[in-house]
Amino acid sequence: MDNSSRRTFLGLCLGGLGAVAAAAFSWPLFRYLAPRTGSDAAGKVVIPAADVREGEAKFFEYAGSSAVLVRKRGGDLVAFSAVCTHLGCIVQWEKDKQDFLCPCHGGHFSADGSVTAGPPPKPLNKLPFSVSGDSITVG
Amino acid sequence: MNVEKVFATEAQRLRDKRPGISSVPLCLRGLTSVLLFALVVLLPLLAFAAPENAEPVCIECHSKLPEKYSQPVTLWRGSIHAENGIFCNGCHGGDPKDAANAMSPARGFLGVPKEDAIPAFCGRCHVGVLKDYLNSAHGRKLAHGGPTCVTCHGSHQVVKASLELINEKSCSRCHSYERAKVIRAAMQETEALIVAIESRISGYKMTGTDTAKLEQELFAVRNRFHTLFHNVNVELVKQESAGIQADLKKIKVVLDRFDDSRQRRAIAGAVAVSVMLLIALLLHLLRKTFD
Repeated sequence: MDNSSRRTFLGLCLGGLGAVAAAAFSWPLFRYLAPRTGSDAAGKVVIPAADVREGEAKFFEYAGSSAVLVRKRGGDLVAFSAVCTHLGCIVQWEKDKQDFLCPCHGGHFSADGSVTAGPPPKPLNKLPFSVSGDSITVG
Repeated sequence: MNVEKVFATEAQRLRDKRPGISSVPLCLRGLTSVLLFALVVLLPLLAFAAPENAEPVCIECHSKLPEKYSQPVTLWRGSIHAENGIFCNGCHGGDPKDAANAMSPARGFLGVPKEDAIPAFCGRCHVGVLKDYLNSAHGRKLAHGGPTCVTCHGSHQVVKASLELINEKSCSRCHSYERAKVIRAAMQETEALIVAIESRISGYKMTGTDTAKLEQELFAVRNRFHTLFHNVNVELVKQESAGIQADLKKIKVVLDRFDDSRQRRAIAGAVAVSVMLLIALLLHLLRKTFD
């Protein structure tokens, strides 16, 4: 094989490998930058409004973790992640006090999710929700 | 502060320089030096300047007292409380910054609780455990010399709870080991799962994977599981263990995904290195065609 055809062959091989390398580099970059698909609908949880009575809380599974809907006295609804912001335990609803208690280290959160006592460093994470007719959609 | 003065002088020197075509490289060089200077010198200084979790005055005084008063400090240093920055005042109250008034009731000092007040003392933080304990055979005997938190956990060298706490030597101080042995056996399988998962999470953490969420989830499950023991009820332990194991399985699934991802990355890395070597070889051969 003369040098010219060897160069052509090697050039083709290098071009091919370069294309493979470029694709291998671009694909993860594209996947990282591209918006996620299908997660919106999958992340929604529908709860019958009648399940959340005034002054009470309804715990449910949301996005692989525990969440809670509360209908405060007066009728206002709020939705939070039920994961304590201290070390990750699941908070409990104290109906008589109308607040959340973390059983692990005694963190207290108000019905609005803000920290009222104990070690939690920040409020409970609020979750978006909408009310439509007789159902509440979280997410 | 001298370091700040040097920093300010350097910054001022740069500001005073009139930017012009000829001074641009100098400016850039100066800015780079200032940034490097700040990174290398100021950041470590700042880290030392504001130490977190400064020890309270209680430790300073008690460490110098006779053994009766200094031993709690020695024991506390080996505890999970010390590990997590929970100091004397976290339990005993008082003012941790003012030696003269550290033990003043007016500053919230509670001192040493009476025997039957110990569960309420510890239960201010460990509320879930207190609730289960008070409903248990142990808790119902509280006013009649029954065991309190410190009987099993100790009062200052409180270590991370594990099934090791349930043992013949400890339990048979008060009653036969038979019942405790059955409870321990019922908890053994779940405990082994927890230990295995904890070890896997720790391995991933060591290699830089973000395991914060998994650690929190495991902490919550382990806490729920260990709290269960305080009921001293074998049937309840068996009932709840299934739910706890299901939650542990969810964490395990995430860890399995980490394993798969790590394996895929190792293969992708090997392929990438091979391709690069091949490219290098081809380039070498291509260069030789020009010789």
